[in-house]
Amino acid sequence: MAAIFAQGLAKHFTPEIKAVDGIDLAIEPGQIFGFLGANGSGKTTTVRMLTTLLRPTAGRAEVSGLDVENHAGQVRASIGVALQEAGLDDIQTGRELLTLSARLYRVPSSQMKARVDELLRIVDLEESADRALKTYSGGMQRRLDLAAALVHRPTVVFLDEPTTGLDPISRDAIWRYVGELNRTEGVTFFLTTQYLEEADRLADEVAIMAAGKIVAQGSPAELKASIGTDVVSLRIGSDEDLTRASDAVRRFEGIEDVRVVDDAVICYVRDGSSAIAALVLLLDGANIRPREVTLSQPTLDDVFLRKTGHHMEADAAADAKVRKSS
Amino acid sequence: MTAVFTDTYYLMLRALRETIRQPALEIGNVFIPIFFFAVTVGAIGSSAARAFGVDNYTGFQMPIAVLQGVAGAAGVAGIATVTDIERGYFDKLLLTPAPRISLALGRLAADVVRICILSAFIVFVGLLFGSGMETGVLGIVVLVVMAGAFGLAYSGIGMALALKTGSAQAAQLGFLIFFPLLFLSPAFAPKEYFAPWLEFLATINPVTYIVEGMRSLVLEGWDAAAIAKAFGAIFGMGVLTMSLVLWGLRGRTA
Ligand SMILES: Nc1ncnc2c1ncn2[C@@H]1O[C@H](COP(=O)(O)OP(=O)(O)O)[C@@H](O)[C@H]1O
Ligand SMILES: [Mg+2]
Repeated sequence: MAAIFAQGLAKHFTPEIKAVDGIDLAIEPGQIFGFLGANGSGKTTTVRMLTTLLRPTAGRAEVSGLDVENHAGQVRASIGVALQEAGLDDIQTGRELLTLSARLYRVPSSQMKARVDELLRIVDLEESADRALKTYSGGMQRRLDLAAALVHRPTVVFLDEPTTGLDPISRDAIWRYVGELNRTEGVTFFLTTQYLEEADRLADEVAIMAAGKIVAQGSPAELKASIGTDVVSLRIGSDEDLTRASDAVRRFEGIEDVRVVDDAVICYVRDGSSAIAALVLLLDGANIRPREVTLSQPTLDDVFLRKTGHHMEADAAADAKVRKSS
Repeated sequence: MTAVFTDTYYLMLRALRETIRQPALEIGNVFIPIFFFAVTVGAIGSSAARAFGVDNYTGFQMPIAVLQGVAGAAGVAGIATVTDIERGYFDKLLLTPAPRISLALGRLAADVVRICILSAFIVFVGLLFGSGMETGVLGIVVLVVMAGAFGLAYSGIGMALALKTGSAQAAQLGFLIFFPLLFLSPAFAPKEYFAPWLEFLATINPVTYIVEGMRSLVLEGWDAAAIAKAFGAIFGMGVLTMSLVLWGLRGRTA
């Protein structure tokens, strides 16, 4: 039985806003599943449907074999969730918040104190446990929120962008707890992120979302291997040269694919190190001198780029800019 | 079923913790009704017997002070729920196996506790001012229970609006409903002295029966009919507002 299963799952807020547009998932127990996508691609909406907070407009989903609509109560009792916004209150202390969560999740009274202490230790918050939450930093709030999601020892845990906006040290800490719980207790994790490199390093399997649809799914290694090539990136000085450059490199025999992104022509080639010289020669023949030439192994960003035609991180940045100015 | 009670209880404790840690927020709720109590009695008290046959105007006004206290204190549940919704904590509570109704009842119960304490205090101040209490200590208990029950019914309006709209302004709007109702009751004088249109409005206003029930406890002694009418009016309002709460809650859950 899959830990998380979805079939044709969709949420259309309006006929135009197809936040999630028919996705299929089958996540094995014990996996760390990375759900990747730029801002607005539908990650949070998916999490909210899988965790019973939002009713799907089509399709169905199961968590631990329980239908999220018909057995919402049982699903809630078996999952842990940390939403995108830590969403705590100002006035309780960390210990009070965890204790309240433990009571509402029906942790037996006899184990309550030990469990709360244990969680505070796991997320390194023992020293601030009795301070009001308004004195916590963003990273501390995220950690407490994660602890609150774990009070009842759930077998499936959903974390929506647990590391976004955190400094590298806090980010590593979150991933350390996730890895540990996954290894020692076999907890299944479904976590969303905008950081491709992070998912690459830590997830067993990933799905890449774009505009409400899954455009690629598999282990990071599989996805990168599916590109089957090296990546040569040629940064070009001017916009008009950019088109001419992409025409020029297309004449190279070993070329698999060419994409123009920002000020660079990205070439997917079988044997990168021997192709570089040929590619630069072709540019020279067209009287174009690249400002920078780099050779790399494909990353998840290249997978994203191949599937969608644009970079994911750049997309997120653009989205942030739009949000700020509107 | 027991889960409804236990989870309501834990959520009520959380809400009361907020009050205890922000005591300044209660100052207005205590001060305003007592201030109006004092100035109303000061202004009208000595002529009340001559004008409309009320000898003990302090006792006559004490329930009004209590109800004003209720109205001031009753909005916290709704407003605090809006804050929980805005901050995302309400989603966190929705994710727990707690019965949905407890998420509303926990905060409403905290309002009832605050209102009972505040009412008892206002009664105490009334006694110091010389209101008297014909039905004695047991009467005080009944009056405070009445205030608490009315507070529950009344808090429900703000709670329903909070759940339905997620907007603080809407939850606060709940208050505005009360003040006309309070002053469309015989707040300052017995309704027999009102102009006919106002007497008619007072007669169909449920708050009138709460005022009269409370007054009977202070001024007249045990009057089963008056007490029954007061609780009946509270029950009617309660059924209405709690239905609205359930309706608001349904909109919050998938
Ligand atoms: N309650 C809502 N009503 C209307 N549109 C929504 C709502 N929530 C999200 N959306 C839209 O759905 C899309 C996906 O949003 P979301 O799932 O939050 O994406 P992500 O978490 O990947 O950033 C976005 O276009 C967003 O504006
Ligand atoms: Mg999101």
